[in-house]
Amino acid sequence: MMENIKENRVEYFILFVAISVFMFLIYSFRFDRQMLILLSGIGSAFYIIWGITHQWLRGKLNKSVIYEYTLFGVLVFLLFFIVLSF
Amino acid sequence: MFDYTKQIDENQNISKYWRKNPKSIEKYQFVHHFLPKPDKRKRADFLENKAILIYCILILVVTAVFRTIPKVAPGVLGYASDINVADLLKYTNKKREENGVPSLRLNDKLSAAAQKKAKDMFEDGYWAHVAPDGTEPWDFIVGENYEYIYAGENLAKNFSTSKEVVEAWFKSPSHKSNLIGVNYDEVGFAVVNGVMDGYETTLVVQMFGKPRQPSMLASVGEEVVNMGRNAVSASETETASNGGESEVRSETSVSEQPVGAESAISEPIPSGSPANSFIDVTLATKTISLVVGGFVVSLLLIDILYSRKKGIRKFTGLTLAHLAILLVVIISIWLVFRPGLIV
Repeated sequence: MMENIKENRVEYFILFVAISVFMFLIYSFRFDRQMLILLSGIGSAFYIIWGITHQWLRGKLNKSVIYEYTLFGVLVFLLFFIVLSF
Repeated sequence: MFDYTKQIDENQNISKYWRKNPKSIEKYQFVHHFLPKPDKRKRADFLENKAILIYCILILVVTAVFRTIPKVAPGVLGYASDINVADLLKYTNKKREENGVPSLRLNDKLSAAAQKKAKDMFEDGYWAHVAPDGTEPWDFIVGENYEYIYAGENLAKNFSTSKEVVEAWFKSPSHKSNLIGVNYDEVGFAVVNGVMDGYETTLVVQMFGKPRQPSMLASVGEEVVNMGRNAVSASETETASNGGESEVRSETSVSEQPVGAESAISEPIPSGSPANSFIDVTLATKTISLVVGGFVVSLLLIDILYSRKKGIRKFTGLTLAHLAILLVVIISIWLVFRPGLIV
C-alpha cells in the first residue's frame, strides 16, 4: 500500500487536499440541505475527473477504468442523495 | 525423483474430501465472490463495475419507493422527534444569554396562537408564514387578544430534537434575528404532530412578542426568507399607519411552498411511544446509505489486504482512492448529517 501511495503521491496529495476541503465545507453547510446536495454533486464530479485524469497521465486509461471511476462517483453522490432528499 | 503415485493419492484424497463435503464447495464458491481474482487480475465479483451499477440502481429504487409510499399510504413514513416546549425555551434563552440578550418569558397567549397556527397549517395543508387564504401570523396573535408592539414567528419541521431546531434557527441569519432579537420580551411555542405531504412529522411554531404598553405606538416589520422545508423565519420590514398609530411587525418565515392538500393533525406524541408506529424515513435512509457504503468499504479493504498478501497486481483504478472517498461519505453521513436540515 505504501508503494502505491509513493508511486502516486502527487495525485494522492491532491485528493487528500480536496477531501479535506470537502469535509470542511460539508461541516460548514450542515444545516443547508440544498448546499449539501450541490457539494456532493461537485465532490462526485471531481472524483470522476481526478480518477480519469490520473489514469490518463499514467497511460493506463481504458473503457473499464472510465466506467469504474464514473460508477464510484455516481455511487458516492447517490449515498449522499438518498439521505439528503428526505 | 518425483513420486507420481504419491501425487495421485493426494489428488484422490482431495477429490474424496470435496465429494464428502459438498457444503465446503458452496462455502468456497461464496467466499470466492468477495476476493480478488489473481488469474484475471481483477477485483472481487461484488466490486465489479456491474455490481457497483446494481448498488446505484438499488439506491435509486429505494429513493423512488420512499417517494411513492407517502402518496399511496400517507403516514406510513415519518420523522421521529423528541421535541418539547421546555427544551425549546431552555435552548432559546441559552442562545440569548450567550449573545448578551435578556431571556424571554413564556406567554400562554403566544403559545395558544402558535398552537392555532400549527393546527391551521396541518388542516389547510400549507407550510408558510402566510396561509393560502392570506391569514398572517399576526392574525393568530391578535386572535388571542395579545396586544403587541413587535411580533415575530419562526417555523420548523422534520427535526429530531429541540436542540437541533434552535441550532438550525441560530445558523440562519433571518431566524437568528428573531431568536436573539432585543425587541422581544415574550415567546410562545407549539409542538404538534401530524401528517404533512404524506409524511408523519412534527411542526414547531415559535412566536415572539413584546406586549404593547398603553403609551406606546405599535410597529411591525415583516421579512420572508425562503428557507425550504425545515425551518422558517422571515423579516421584511414594513411600517403601516392605522388610525394614527403606526405599526411595525417582524415576521420570520421558513418557506413559501404550499404543501400537499392531504394532511391530518394529532396531539403531540412523545417520541418512542407506541403511537409513533410510522417508519422513520431519516433513520431508514441513513441506515441504507451506511449499509451499502459500509459493504463496499469492507470489500475494498479485503481487496487491499488480500491483494497485498498474495501479491496480486490488478488492472483497475486505485482501490485506496475509492476507499478514501467512500470513508468520507460514511463519516459525513454518520457524524455530520442531521435530520431536519434547512433546505
